[in-house]
Amino acid sequence: MTFATQIDKSKVEALLHAIEAGQSEEAAKLVDDLTQIREGELYQQVQLLTQNLHQTLDDLEEDAPILLHTKHDLPDITERLKYVMNETDNASNKTLSSAENALGLVEQLASSLEGGALQGFDKQLVEQINHELTNIMLAQSFQDLTGQVLNRVILIVTTLEESLKELISRSRHNFEAIPERAETLESKKEQEEKGMGPNVTQKSKQDTVESQDDVDDLLSDLGI
Amino acid sequence: MQINRDMNILVVDDFSTMRRIVKNLLKELGFSKFDEADDGATAWPMVQTGKYDFIVSDWNMPQMTGIDLLRHVRADANLKDTPFLLITAEAKRSQILEAAQAGVDGYIVKPFTAATLNEKIQKIFARVAERQ
Repeated sequence: MTFATQIDKSKVEALLHAIEAGQSEEAAKLVDDLTQIREGELYQQVQLLTQNLHQTLDDLEEDAPILLHTKHDLPDITERLKYVMNETDNASNKTLSSAENALGLVEQLASSLEGGALQGFDKQLVEQINHELTNIMLAQSFQDLTGQVLNRVILIVTTLEESLKELISRSRHNFEAIPERAETLESKKEQEEKGMGPNVTQKSKQDTVESQDDVDDLLSDLGI
Repeated sequence: MQINRDMNILVVDDFSTMRRIVKNLLKELGFSKFDEADDGATAWPMVQTGKYDFIVSDWNMPQMTGIDLLRHVRADANLKDTPFLLITAEAKRSQILEAAQAGVDGYIVKPFTAATLNEKIQKIFARVAERQ
């Protein structure tokens, strides 16, 4: 890239001269002139980039991957991550409940043995069990730590989604008019063949069974 | 040193699992009176009642952060001496220094152990006893 605004050698010499002569005001003015040239170049580059971006966006087909991703996949990410947070939260709480219950049971057992005055090996054993149960509880802090990370990722994805929408709406495209992803019977089948994990989004929940009973009903209808 | 195990403790964290873990650990250490808050913003009016002898808080929460809660506490003439322990995943030196500047009494980085919690509590209340 070449720009009309090149740095003038005479200006640099003048600056050097001004500094040597101790003319600080003149020197400051020349520095301003020089940086203005740089700023001008930067401005031109940004303009060029923006034009390129607009052109590229305008040239996209209605079903270009970036448009489909923005409309259909990015909102899914948040939904999927929230599913992960809920599942880990449930699992951690179940584990905590079990560990709490077990601690209570150990306490009951200890007080029923030897009139509650445990000695030697028994006492040591109860302390060790309590220690292990406390470790199980502490290990559940992964839910908080991973949850904080997921919250951050959700924030980033949501911001990215908004920026892309904004960009699209400034191009010739109409966000609402971006079509559904063309799903051929083969591509759907291929996806199903591969398997896709838990159906966690509203969209992917369509046409799924709710429970094992549903599965059994379905199979029994087929005589299995 | 003898710590008053009957003191009222407020546990502040936006993750319910962490509140539960902290409460269980405190129970193991012999404490029995807890309240919970899920954000600095919900904790602050509770703290203002003057009920609490000890606040254990997370840093990163959606409405009001733990560091802000700490600053609120320290800025209030009636509450400013309340012992305040931060248990957080925030681990930057600058953050720890900021918490110290805001007047935190103890700082534990998650994940942590029961021994660490015990040690910090001992230290905090030893200092409180010295102050009195």
